Amino acid sequence: MGNAIETHELSRSFASGPALDGLSLVVEPGEVLALLGPNGAGKTTTVRLLNGVLSPDRGWSRVLGRDPVADGDEVRRHTGVLTENAGLDDRLTTRENLLFTARIRGFSPDAAKRRVDDLLERFGMDERADDLTQGFSTGQRKRVALARALLHDPEVLFLDEPTSGLDPAGTRDVIDLIQSLAGEGRTIVLATHFLGEAGRLADRMAVLHHGHLRAFGRPDELAAEIWQGIGAALDLGAPATAETLAALAAVPGVTETERSPDGARLRVADREVLPRAVAAMVGRGVPVYEVASRAPSLEDVYFAIEARILAEHGTAATDGFLHSPTAAEATP
Amino acid sequence: MTATATTAATPDTPTTTRARHRRDWSAIWLVTRKDLTAVRRSKAIMVPMTLVPIVLLVGLPIGLGLFARSAPTETVTNALSSPMVKELVKPILSLPAREQIVVLVLGYILSPLLLVIPLMVSAALAADAFAGEKERRTLESLMYLPISDRDLFLAKVLSAFLPALSITWLGAIVYAIVSNIVAWPVMHRVFVPFTQWLAVIVWVAPAVALLALGLLVIVSGRSKTTQEANQLGVVVILPLIFLAAGQASALLLAPVPVVLAFGAVIWALALTLVVVNGRRFTRDRLATSS
Repeated sequence: MGNAIETHELSRSFASGPALDGLSLVVEPGEVLALLGPNGAGKTTTVRLLNGVLSPDRGWSRVLGRDPVADGDEVRRHTGVLTENAGLDDRLTTRENLLFTARIRGFSPDAAKRRVDDLLERFGMDERADDLTQGFSTGQRKRVALARALLHDPEVLFLDEPTSGLDPAGTRDVIDLIQSLAGEGRTIVLATHFLGEAGRLADRMAVLHHGHLRAFGRPDELAAEIWQGIGAALDLGAPATAETLAALAAVPGVTETERSPDGARLRVADREVLPRAVAAMVGRGVPVYEVASRAPSLEDVYFAIEARILAEHGTAATDGFLHSPTAAEATP
Repeated sequence: MTATATTAATPDTPTTTRARHRRDWSAIWLVTRKDLTAVRRSKAIMVPMTLVPIVLLVGLPIGLGLFARSAPTETVTNALSSPMVKELVKPILSLPAREQIVVLVLGYILSPLLLVIPLMVSAALAADAFAGEKERRTLESLMYLPISDRDLFLAKVLSAFLPALSITWLGAIVYAIVSNIVAWPVMHRVFVPFTQWLAVIVWVAPAVALLALGLLVIVSGRSKTTQEANQLGVVVILPLIFLAAGQASALLLAPVPVVLAFGAVIWALALTLVVVNGRRFTRDRLATSS
């Protein structure tokens, strides 16, 4: 089976400058790819290019083996897109919004009605089916928009900022829904700047910054490129003192130390170093309540990449993010 | 850490030409019908689209018709001998003076206002078609549907053209009924429609609506809000309104072949504009102007 998505040197500029510059990546069928980056990184432009809404200035792409430029309608027939703004027509009812899309996507009137009813029930919107969407909460709008994106059971699903504007409960609901969709073996491209949801959902991550692809791969692969060894957390019952940190740093195989609220975070060459670190603490009379090795999360990897970009550019690379990573956050 | 990603087998240099599509009338009609439903539920559009025709095609003929019908004889004689209407009354000089004034007011002076209706309705709906979709943030979801650029454009043009035409024709019927009722005590016969009037309504008015749309879809496509589209639209459409209201009286006096030829010229202009704009219309342009 071929790739679900493939791009090569995909580039697009606007009057304001390049929005995407030389994007090359491959997404395999059934994979969940997190497209990460701050506002203006090129995520939405990528989604638009891959659906034939925009044409590239340079490079090319294939979605399910089809060229979105030459065969946009055919690509769009097999993809579903959840846009950042749900894009529902407030002058139509929930059902009318969905029926319109279903009919455009080739459903017969009866089949469209059945499919819409099924999805409204699945997304818990059947009670509001005949209400105008005007006045719906952001969460309800996202649900309807997600139902619309899934009407034709698309092979590839693009989710552009699926949880933006949602409250915590709404966010959890939408993430659960996406997780169930991912479990169905669907290829999902998740364009977001919320790292929590990406961390829970994505198999691989692509980090965009000012239209450039800065990193692409599985979080653990990227972590291995960023950090040597493994991370570990020592629970000492209180933040480590400077002397304790110095003692830990002196243990052979410990490469990094950092104070944490309940003790210290370490980076060690391999797991054999951990008993030696514990012994050093016990030898100094420092109690050790727990030792846990800690695999870097997608969030850790992302912030480490951001920190590198920040260092390269000497400017804020995290415009639009909820918060900027500190050096400590960049170390898992 | 590497920032590049792919090493998969690359396909041949991609085709960059867009495939030619056959018209998908089902999709076109679905978009048009959706827009018509939405417009029907929009008070901001429906109120002016209903009130203006009522004022122009019911209120004015009743008011002015009653005045013409009951004006003092001396006023009628003076009005008919005015140099401003000398040309207009030439074809009806054989009628009694009272009938002349009624035909002059209701047949030649007021009825050209019918041509304002397609212009006004086209302007309002064209503004909603693209700028309104952008403003409501519904355009992007529309662009992700499997409907070709041309079909989408055609659907949007139709969703403004069909109501403009329907309202114009309905307005014409209402106008004819009101005029004949108001004038009946003087005329004792149906005097509207007459041949030129029919030719203008059936042949010229649709062309005028399409011409306005041909101009306004450009404005609407480039505007970010309905208000902006309306404001720019007024600049584009006002000269046409003045032209229509000013020149249609002359058209009603011209021989029918001249009216048909005039309509043909408007049709040609309108179709050229629509075809050219349709060819220039792409999702890319629309997305980048949002």
